[in-house]
Amino acid sequence: MNYNPVNALLIFFGLVLIGYLLFRPKSGWFWIIKNNLKSNEKIIIEDVLKQLYHNENSGKEMNLHDLSNSLKFSDGTIVDVVKKMAIIDLITFNGDIIQLTSSGRDYALRIVRVHRLWEKYLAEKTGFDKTEWHDRAEKMEHKLSHEETDRLASHLGNPKYDPHGDPIPTKLGKVASLEGEFLSSLKVGTIGRIIHIEDEPDVIYKQILAEKIHIGSQIRVIENNKERVVFYAEGQEFILAPIVAANITIALLEKEESLEENMARLSSLKDNEEAEIIGISKESRGDGRRRLLDLGFVKGAKISIDLKSPLGNPIAYLIKGTSIALRKDQASKILIKKGVKHGK
Amino acid sequence: MKKDEIEKLITLSSDLRWKIGDEFHDSLAEGIYADASEISNASVSRANEKKKFRLDSKIDSIVTSKTWGFPIMFLILALILWITIVGANYPSAMLSNLLLDNVHPFLKEVAANIGMPWWLDGFLIDGVYLAVAWVVAVMLPPMAIFFPLFTLLEDFGYLPRVAFNMDYLFKKSGAHGKQALTMSMGFGCNAAGVVATRIIDSPRERLIAIITNNFSLCNGRWPTQILIATIFIGAVVPSSFSAVASMSAVIGIAILGIFFMFLTSWALTKTVLKGEVSTFNLELPPYRPPRVLKTIYTSLIDRTLIVLWRAIVFAAPAGAVIWLISNIYIGNESIAAWTINFLDGFGFLLGLNGVILLAYIVAIPANEIVIPTILMLTVLVTGVTGGEGAGVMFELDSVNATGDLLRAGGWTLLTAVNLMLFSLLHNPCSTTIYTIYKETNSLKWTTVATILPIIMGFIVTFLVAQIWRLF
Repeated sequence: MNYNPVNALLIFFGLVLIGYLLFRPKSGWFWIIKNNLKSNEKIIIEDVLKQLYHNENSGKEMNLHDLSNSLKFSDGTIVDVVKKMAIIDLITFNGDIIQLTSSGRDYALRIVRVHRLWEKYLAEKTGFDKTEWHDRAEKMEHKLSHEETDRLASHLGNPKYDPHGDPIPTKLGKVASLEGEFLSSLKVGTIGRIIHIEDEPDVIYKQILAEKIHIGSQIRVIENNKERVVFYAEGQEFILAPIVAANITIALLEKEESLEENMARLSSLKDNEEAEIIGISKESRGDGRRRLLDLGFVKGAKISIDLKSPLGNPIAYLIKGTSIALRKDQASKILIKKGVKHGK
Repeated sequence: MKKDEIEKLITLSSDLRWKIGDEFHDSLAEGIYADASEISNASVSRANEKKKFRLDSKIDSIVTSKTWGFPIMFLILALILWITIVGANYPSAMLSNLLLDNVHPFLKEVAANIGMPWWLDGFLIDGVYLAVAWVVAVMLPPMAIFFPLFTLLEDFGYLPRVAFNMDYLFKKSGAHGKQALTMSMGFGCNAAGVVATRIIDSPRERLIAIITNNFSLCNGRWPTQILIATIFIGAVVPSSFSAVASMSAVIGIAILGIFFMFLTSWALTKTVLKGEVSTFNLELPPYRPPRVLKTIYTSLIDRTLIVLWRAIVFAAPAGAVIWLISNIYIGNESIAAWTINFLDGFGFLLGLNGVILLAYIVAIPANEIVIPTILMLTVLVTGVTGGEGAGVMFELDSVNATGDLLRAGGWTLLTAVNLMLFSLLHNPCSTTIYTIYKETNSLKWTTVATILPIIMGFIVTFLVAQIWRLF
């Protein structure tokens, strides 16, 4: 073979291109083939069950047409699977409306349990980004067996809620209730706490994340009309489109039990200001949260800025006599009360 | 206890657990801190700490200031590297004079007198002894200078401030500010740099720091870079600029290494490492006067000697291998010559040659012996006169003579540039690989850390060679 740098380069870039097409994240051919091989009946059945469960819970009725619209499988496959599910008594037909039988409902609950437990696991024990939790849990929910699920649950300390605020069904199928109202439906002046952030659809969830809205935050609605919902939380104002606000659930609080109005995020602390820590936001999870607590970022601790790094981030805070540097995104998850008198 | 009672108890406990809720750990930590501060308030009396504090914050306001923070940092790092490289020359020359020019001939003489067979003499003295002696002579002095200096800064309390200053840059590639320190430590020795990653307590960032430490040009590679740059890069510019040109080429390679470090860190966080837990915090301890003697002692024992010992353990068999492949014949060619012929085609594609590739394979244990091995192999395959004989590593006294020998071996400016790139981007030495395994306890990450840089080396040298030949 004759050597020529151009040929060598062409062969090289050809190989790189093939490698890219095969293995690029998500839509690489290798992954597509791998997924298609695995996409079996069990997964389709479980997806149908989950879809029916969620719709029944929100009071919507579904027929075959709705079902095939909401799932990404072909119509033929879904018809086959639905037939089979009726035979093994997971669903029944009421006219053309499809309903879950009680065994179908149990099965669906189990899938939901695995999904939410796995999201909790990803949030507490791994470093995956929030935006990936849902997709990863979607895959995992078809994989875990009963025993594995129970072991996972006890490993996580049998949690009640997943990181989005959704209740996790127990082993026996008990589901804690989620009592709240959608942010979009609240009157001006209402005080409440964010208890749930819906992670579907993806587009809206990403908008909520981009606004840096934290679950567990206390809020006060300032404005609510067709154009926008404005609320005040942790020392800042947030503006959302009503359709986005509808994906956030708020538990109402009585005025008396509402905490300090001058609550703010540590990231908003300025030089020469002194503050007192109120707590750590629910958004700080797992090892990171425990680490902060161990370092002394606990309720009642006095805190002020010690040093700013040349590029402005991180900032070193003086707490309990030591200087500890935190990054901005961490500081935004620590809640403080400003205006404490200068200590000695 | 009866069975149903036990079950009742378990249900009760899980019910209670539900009631306690997620705040449980928070309240516990709060309680502990409340108790602790009560105890300390009651029993500890504070002396006048304010004065010391003011000095601390004065130093801090300078070393972390917008204007002075970065210049001070680079100045100190450059100074340490300069002292190490220049200062190590003298003891290195003395050691190599002693171990290579005096002890080696003496051992040969003794062996000849007691009538040792030639193969045993070659295997033990030319192979094993020479490799070990070489590693000691090249490795020991820079490490014995670099580590104490570095440890003094650490002891003084300056290093956490460096991490504090640099964190924002490292954060952009998903890494921890303290990686600035382990990276600098890697300029001394990658194995020591890998051990130093223990200061990073976040699992993900620590793995990043371990895997990318190899991109810091270590002490074993500086001399190679300087030699090759002096011979080939210095020669293309007028002689009055040659020192500047070759020095900037070496610094350029080191900076390229830092660039690759950031690039790889970023790529790793986006792909294989994204599931690892990441926590950040950085304590800025108060300054304190360094304890010079204790520091020198511990850094010599803890860092220098341990690393040196590991290097010797790995260098000895490498010396044996080098001697053996040059002296065992298959047909009428030595194993070395066969391998070099075999590797030549691939070497050409990378703008290198078979000799260099073989030298990098046998010199996996220690980068220090790459150049002596290359010289020995070049003499072996070209048949140029010179050298000390098959399997005996050597170095020439004059830089010019070394250049002439390499040119006789078919080296061009491209070979030199690609050798410098390959010296930066290849697998870590076996001491480092072993250390990575000890620190991560994972075969997977050790493999990644080993394979990743060499693949990058292949790609970079390949691209450079092709583009070079286009013009």
